[in-house]
Amino acid sequence: MTRKIRIALAGNPNVGKSTIFNALTGSRQQIGNWPGVTVEKKSGFAHLGEYEIEVVDLPGTYSLTAYSVDEVVARDYIIDEKPDVVVHVVDATNFERNLYLTTQLMELDVPLVIALNMSDMAEKNGTAINRMKMKKFFEIPAVRTVGSKGEGLDELLRAAINEAETSPHHEHAIGYGDRTERLIADLVAALGKDPAISTRYPPRWLAIRLLEGDENAQEKIAESPARDAALAVLAKINPAETEAEMADRRYEVISSLLPQVCTTCVRTMNSSDLIDRVITNRWLGIPIFLALMWGAFELTFAAAAPFSAAIEAFMGYCAGLVGSGMEPAWLGSFLGDGIIGGMGAILIFIPNIFILLFLLSVLEDSGYLARAAFVMDRLMYSIGLPGKSFIPMLIGFGCNVPAIMATRTIEDPKDRLLTILINPFMSCSARLPVYVLFAGAFFPANAGTVVFVLYVLGIVVAIGSAWLFRKTILPGKPAPFLMEMPPYRLPTIATSIVHMWDRGSMYIRKAGGVILFGALIVWGLASLPYGVEYGSAESFAGMIGHVLEPLVAPLGFDWKIAVALLFGFVAKEVVVGSLGVLYGTGEDGGSLQGALLADPSLGPVTAFALMAFVLLYLPCLATLAVIRKETGSWKWTGFSVVYGLVVAYIVAFLIARLGFLAIGGI
Amino acid sequence: MRETIPISFLLPGTEAMVNDIRAGDGLSRHLVAMGIRPECRLTVICADRGSLIVSVAGSRYALSKGMAMKILVERIEVKAQ
Repeated sequence: MTRKIRIALAGNPNVGKSTIFNALTGSRQQIGNWPGVTVEKKSGFAHLGEYEIEVVDLPGTYSLTAYSVDEVVARDYIIDEKPDVVVHVVDATNFERNLYLTTQLMELDVPLVIALNMSDMAEKNGTAINRMKMKKFFEIPAVRTVGSKGEGLDELLRAAINEAETSPHHEHAIGYGDRTERLIADLVAALGKDPAISTRYPPRWLAIRLLEGDENAQEKIAESPARDAALAVLAKINPAETEAEMADRRYEVISSLLPQVCTTCVRTMNSSDLIDRVITNRWLGIPIFLALMWGAFELTFAAAAPFSAAIEAFMGYCAGLVGSGMEPAWLGSFLGDGIIGGMGAILIFIPNIFILLFLLSVLEDSGYLARAAFVMDRLMYSIGLPGKSFIPMLIGFGCNVPAIMATRTIEDPKDRLLTILINPFMSCSARLPVYVLFAGAFFPANAGTVVFVLYVLGIVVAIGSAWLFRKTILPGKPAPFLMEMPPYRLPTIATSIVHMWDRGSMYIRKAGGVILFGALIVWGLASLPYGVEYGSAESFAGMIGHVLEPLVAPLGFDWKIAVALLFGFVAKEVVVGSLGVLYGTGEDGGSLQGALLADPSLGPVTAFALMAFVLLYLPCLATLAVIRKETGSWKWTGFSVVYGLVVAYIVAFLIARLGFLAIGGI
Repeated sequence: MRETIPISFLLPGTEAMVNDIRAGDGLSRHLVAMGIRPECRLTVICADRGSLIVSVAGSRYALSKGMAMKILVERIEVKAQ
């Protein structure tokens, strides 16, 4: 007979909460949104003995006030859904700061277990936390864990089960001193007159939140018959003073307990700080960032080449099988041109995408990305962007969809809208196949550098647009920067691979779904009306292309490219898939690069103009959908489409014209 | 009486005690939860034209100049650079 319990993971950002969540739930995870808000919700299942344990990962927060949506989500979940146990994941190397959240969790009236995570690092630094004494003072069991190595997880689950099954659990409370305690008692009495309120919310917690002037708590009692009595109590106090006193009191409790449970919880200047002095140096910071990014792209190409070659050879082999004398001929064409030509063109780039995502994950997991955000903040600020928008921009290198979702951490609505609007210019991995294809064909010696230049072009356009929007439609100043810098860590291969897989697997699903679908439509248009020569000017694809051709002719593009760009709106990889179909490379197993090189209408200049156009034009369908969702406005979504097209056209036109002038050819 | 100055004026290596935070309710509360609160000690790790990385109770926070100007501190001692 299985028994079910539900636990929630709470904790500060950067304490390894996700690592513990992943280690507990493995691949059995569900990712969705918290109801009503756009904050990601992760849940999954762990098993221990006869227990099935549902694990819910709460957003990382420093406290449970109403400072951000994350904090409201975390505390509402604990209050409304009443998990059996809350596991507070604590960074053992940074014990003192983490305990502030513990004091707030204690007031929520749920059983608590503390996971002293990263204990191996803490022990290496000489920090010893006395778990027996912690249990004695806080009445909360503490478990030593090392999430990255999977240590202590069973013990953590056992402790959680034990807390869930012990009832009634012990009440933990912080005493706030006579004066405040009297106020709390008065408020609890006042709120007790409304059973709807006092049964739904822990009364002591609600009283404390009201005393601290929490607007969200005030809303909770706005409709209650007990409201006037509660407000009468609150009228007696000076809110700012009371709040400061209560925060002081929490820290007093923490600092009086700290020396007893932890003998060496003081961090001195360490190697992280010395590295920071170099990495965030005024002169070196930006060059180091650029060098790392350039190195990442070079490495992506070098390391992916053998894998891509193997996939290409395999696709060629498959194409050879179906190409040679399959009857009826249309079926051979369907399999060879449509499926192998379209999908094969995409699959070849999977090694590139995964290696780039892996390198980005390594940079993120090592703690470098937070520094990069800080280094870039001054530059960002001067062009009107908040430093926090840097992280969504970097995630945009992977995919614009999660990147635009990541703008949720930006509190100021104008800052957030601005960050959303410029994000599609950050070159996502779906554009990489287009670059790899064209840069590989037309710039074989400098492919890595060309791709790097395109990424920089995307950044420059994003920055220029931000500056323009601040001067025109979104005037104002960005909010100041405040972010925790996690200590540098040697990322483990396993965590970085999980991270890479989280972001990259979507690409494979896309290749089998929307991209295959797009390629098949292009194949259909290229094959019909019946009897027409495949992919010729007389096919439907040819007709559409010829209608569009005059529009893109000034950029040096012909009708095949026009068709590919049209379908690239679905997803940017479809540009490559469509070209694969239109150039008919699948059937005879020849490479698409060879076919492109042989096309007299293409040369280095048009190739570069095309890559720039693909980078900048229309956000893909999925990105548009997420822009609509996150801005809640068709107007801004439409603006994003039109603006992207105009910018892409101007930039590609300039590249084409100046390029023709410079080298005297295409 | 020691002099009270915004933290952004401090040099790397300086240790200081927070005196006052001139910010709105929400931001003040957030800073307190992060451990940046009146009477806490902090050390400046890096400083570049007003932006800082500071160490507070074992955590490292990066603050832009705009944020650093809101936090008023008293210098405790100046270590040799």
